[in-house]
Amino acid sequence: MSVIARLEQQVLDPQRELGELLTQARGDGAVVSFVGIARPESSAGGSVDELLLEHHPVLTLKSLEAIAVEAAERFEVTRVRVVHRCGRVAAGEPIVFAGAASKHRRAAFEAADYLMDRLKTEAVFWKRESGAAGSAWIEPTEADYADRDRWG
Amino acid sequence: MKVLFYGRLAESVAAAVEVDAPPGSSVAQLRERLIAEYPQAEQSLGSRRSRACVGDTLVPDDHLLEAANTVEFLPPVSGG
Repeated sequence: MSVIARLEQQVLDPQRELGELLTQARGDGAVVSFVGIARPESSAGGSVDELLLEHHPVLTLKSLEAIAVEAAERFEVTRVRVVHRCGRVAAGEPIVFAGAASKHRRAAFEAADYLMDRLKTEAVFWKRESGAAGSAWIEPTEADYADRDRWG
Repeated sequence: MKVLFYGRLAESVAAAVEVDAPPGSSVAQLRERLIAEYPQAEQSLGSRRSRACVGDTLVPDDHLLEAANTVEFLPPVSGG
């Protein structure tokens, strides 16, 4: 079992993360990965140029580690990899990579889904979108909390 | 007692403030005091989704505080 959780201050390269996961998962049967990208449009429809991901000096990495470990313990996976950006992210740039490897595909699909539901509501970041119309803090929606709660 | 804020709370109040809270105050009482002092932050400070943290550990509203504590208030978090 291998669990990697990392906070990335500069650039997140999803291809490199997937490449490393694939290399490490050669003895497995499946790899599933998800990449979250900063949207160029807010939920209200305004244009967004940049997303600020403010983080906590201690709790942010701890939250990423806890979520990754719990995914590894919950599903029949061999590897979990979570890499999350912090700081300023331009629209169109990757924010998060969540990947899992397993012997059979179902566990990797479920682990990736679980990772994202937990990250959306429990990873310790505060997000602020900025664009032509100004800036706004973004918090999880009730649907995001419901997605997390379906895992019990 | 030192209180630190993050995200929208840091924007509406400050990143850090000093509060004169009696020893033995609970987190809930500190919230009330902060809301009275910074009413612009009432919605966020009063939300059950805004969590208090002491020594890098999340603490419940009935947690009793010591004068030497630094308390951090974390508005609702969101990654991904």
